[in-house]
Amino acid sequence: MKDFKSKIEEHKKRFEKALSGVKDEKSLQEVRNAFMSRKRGELKLLFEELKTLKPEEKAAFGQMVNDLKIHIQEKIRVRGELKVIKKESAALKASSGKIDLTLPGQKEYWGSPHPILLFQQEIENIFMAMGYFIEDGPEIETDYYNFEALNFPPYHPARDDWDTLYITDDLLLRTHTSPVQIRAMEKRKPPIRIITPGKVYRRETPDPTHLPMFYQVEGLVVDEGITFAHLKGTLEHFLKTLFYEKIKIRFRPSFFPFTEPSAEIDIECTVCAGKNEECRVCGGSGWIEILGSGMVDPQVLKNVNIDPEKYSGFAFGLGIDRTAMSAFQIPDMRFFYENDLRFIRQFTLK
Amino acid sequence: MIISLNWLKDYIEIDLSLPVLIEKLNMIGLMVEDWEEKGSDVILDIETYANRPDTLGHLGVARELATALELGIKERKWPLTEIEQKISDLADVRIWDDELCPRYSGMVIKGIQVGPSPEWLRKRIEAVGLKPINNVVDVTNYVLFATAHPIHAFDLAKISGRKIIIRKAKDAEVLRSLEDSDISLTPEMLVIADEKKPIALAGIIGGEESSVKESTQDVFIESACFDPVSIRKTSKKTGISTDASYRFERGADISFPPQAALMAASLLTQLGGKAAKGIADVYPKPKKEKTVVLRHHRISDLLGLELDGEFAERTLASLGFQAEVQQKGVWQVKIPQFRVDVEREADLIEEIARFYGYDKIPASLPPLRALELPVDQKRERINKFRQLLFCNGFDEVLNFSFSDPEKEARLQTGQKAIEIRNPVSSKASLLRTTLLGGLLENIVWNKNRGAEGIHLFEIGNAYFWQNETNREQLTLALATTGLVGPVQWHRKSEDTDFFRIKGALESLMTYSRYEPFSFKEKDHAFFEQEYSLAMIFKEETVGYCGLLKKNLLDSYSLKEPVWAAELNLALLFEKQPYSFEFTPVDRFPSITRDVSFISSRSVLYQDIKEVVEKLAIPGLMEFDPHDRFSGSSIPSGKISLSLRFVFRHPQRTLLAKEVDTLQEKIINA
Repeated sequence: MKDFKSKIEEHKKRFEKALSGVKDEKSLQEVRNAFMSRKRGELKLLFEELKTLKPEEKAAFGQMVNDLKIHIQEKIRVRGELKVIKKESAALKASSGKIDLTLPGQKEYWGSPHPILLFQQEIENIFMAMGYFIEDGPEIETDYYNFEALNFPPYHPARDDWDTLYITDDLLLRTHTSPVQIRAMEKRKPPIRIITPGKVYRRETPDPTHLPMFYQVEGLVVDEGITFAHLKGTLEHFLKTLFYEKIKIRFRPSFFPFTEPSAEIDIECTVCAGKNEECRVCGGSGWIEILGSGMVDPQVLKNVNIDPEKYSGFAFGLGIDRTAMSAFQIPDMRFFYENDLRFIRQFTLK
Repeated sequence: MIISLNWLKDYIEIDLSLPVLIEKLNMIGLMVEDWEEKGSDVILDIETYANRPDTLGHLGVARELATALELGIKERKWPLTEIEQKISDLADVRIWDDELCPRYSGMVIKGIQVGPSPEWLRKRIEAVGLKPINNVVDVTNYVLFATAHPIHAFDLAKISGRKIIIRKAKDAEVLRSLEDSDISLTPEMLVIADEKKPIALAGIIGGEESSVKESTQDVFIESACFDPVSIRKTSKKTGISTDASYRFERGADISFPPQAALMAASLLTQLGGKAAKGIADVYPKPKKEKTVVLRHHRISDLLGLELDGEFAERTLASLGFQAEVQQKGVWQVKIPQFRVDVEREADLIEEIARFYGYDKIPASLPPLRALELPVDQKRERINKFRQLLFCNGFDEVLNFSFSDPEKEARLQTGQKAIEIRNPVSSKASLLRTTLLGGLLENIVWNKNRGAEGIHLFEIGNAYFWQNETNREQLTLALATTGLVGPVQWHRKSEDTDFFRIKGALESLMTYSRYEPFSFKEKDHAFFEQEYSLAMIFKEETVGYCGLLKKNLLDSYSLKEPVWAAELNLALLFEKQPYSFEFTPVDRFPSITRDVSFISSRSVLYQDIKEVVEKLAIPGLMEFDPHDRFSGSSIPSGKISLSLRFVFRHPQRTLLAKEVDTLQEKIINA
């Protein structure tokens, strides 16, 4: 009986000695195998031996062997977790013997969203808070959706302002996201409140303010009793939220084939606020053109079988790239598509 | 449109400071884009719109400004010095195509001494940025920039048979233009011809032979209207755009030709010529003035304000409309023929709003009627994917949809690329069939600027023809190269590898509940053989990942390996993720067992996994490899693979003995 007890003690001592010799993960694993292996581990052998004892001894020693098992398991577990601290402190303690807590913490690398899409999302959020849904549609469009349904007859000179990239006589790269509005009006009944962000294309040679592809957000509201006053209120709210509460905004008459009356919206120059006659951003006028808008042309409503006597609506559109340029004072539109990580990653901090 | 302030003063009394004047013009929709002081004059560059050809002359701008300032337009008289000879004896005008030329007027001036214009006329011509040529040509330009109505002068002696025929060109006819180039005419083009041949391309440019030169004595003045679409087609086809065609393609005032001819004749007689009696005015189907009904309540309905009816009447009258009360609150409005843009009630309401002032219209928010929820969840899914990729350390990029045919060929996507007929450059003449080309360019760009680790993704469309139909396919592309993560003092940066890209795909699928999915070794044009996996979900390949081929990387001068993936999101998003169901959290402790195997290298983890799964061991909740190594302690050609198994019983604590048996089963298998 005594024999068995001292045997347990011996095992325990051997374990302590082996554990103290552990230097790395590998030697820890060796200790684990030696003592805890299910086939030939020391504990396994002890349990085997236990089976040969008399029943009354079994009960007493069984408890002791079990305690040893728990002890060994626990020690190995703790030793395993200590590993990391050991490794680091070894490096750190080289001189002072104490961990230098002024060292920087652990950093994770998070990817950054592209600034255009980040800005697009800000715009979307403002409109979603006003009850708008987001719609999208094809980038390769037919002449009908891009022009005719929007009240641009064939050979109308207004088409010159939307210089177009063509694929066939009938297929083209959409020059605005307005076709998405037409498709939305075809598929649903008023009330309609949507915004349509996306890529648009124009036949433009790249320069600091023009690109053959850029991003646009357009919006459309159609319901009973929608007025020009609603257009003004909505866009004022949008611009004050996107820029700042006190920003000056002006609405002036303009022309778009798909709206009547039409309005262009300027904001005061975000760089000079009209105080610099040589300002590069506003050209000294003090104003930046930011949005085109208007009341949906009755012909456009008729084209999608909405009765213009019963319903009215407004629509608007803005270039995301250009608006982001104003908001962040970015001088060149091409920066957005160079995809320089030093440019893109700045916006994570915004 | 270039506007001279002095010229404008011929029509209205302007007594405003320049900034106030500019503000006035801007706020009625005549945006002053630029201005410049020139001697005693101010030159304004005004943005005009495609629907308002009437504002392409000083008179039209003056009419707008007069309405804004509540002033009248000064009338001017156009006296003539006439001779007894009748025009009908000197010129015979015939319209053969009254669709394309609804009206043609002409006058004849005899005995003009062609030479330099007087000072006042030269100044006007120079003010709008033109070079004075001679008195006759300058007069025609004067009339154009004064009234927006283009006119033309012919040398009467050069009109064969004194016959002016407006007809379509015949095949193979050629016209030598004023600019000394030969225009090949085609049968849909409208020309002005004499007995023998074309002498002008109608509404666009005159012919060289019949043009007014120093030797000219008698001139024929043409003042006509042409079909806008025909002018535009011909202008596009010949590539000739002139001040005249620019106006005619926008629409001309059908009532105006005799008046424009008279203005020119009057000026030419003041310069020494004598007018033949009468005017040749061919107008086969006179057009009636349009009328539009305007309802007072519609003004309020559309603008959202109460507006005085008297203001509406006054504004319309000042702009040249005649509004008659039809019944209380309803006007019958006669539209002047110079307003080709006004056809509907909404057009009239815009006129009223413009002069009421957009700034005075109140601002309010529309009523918020509830909408149906949209069914499309594409956007949410895209945003979820983006968030997951940010967490996985991938930066988002946006590339142009255009592609260089040479580069596209190297990528060998096997898709038929869509070609742009009129590209901005030959290097951007296709639409991309893959997003990887863009990512490779971005890697090169950033590498050249010192980036050590580059991990990028883009979500956007790839475009191609599929059975004659254009397709745009929502696609996600990923690429990773170089070091992962920031260099840190307590953690060594490691090079990216295949499992980073695979891990990113796995986390996209798992966290979006697109499970179960699997990978299968499969060759792909982008990837090195044996380093290429297809990702399969619901029995379809939804994407590929692997190591980009060396020759592809070489073509971008990239030396380090780039691991990449492309996912067909359009296909993936058509499929439904498994539906979410709550499962109670297990209350009983689990038992973890680590098992190490030594196995041949040729045994794939996938095979081991399948064997274990086949066992369908009760209580085995999960298992994962947690170590894999080879080295001196392992026989060559073999590897040691450790798996961690987690066992749990849903209703009670598992006993170690039970687990032993289960484990035994695994080991034996």
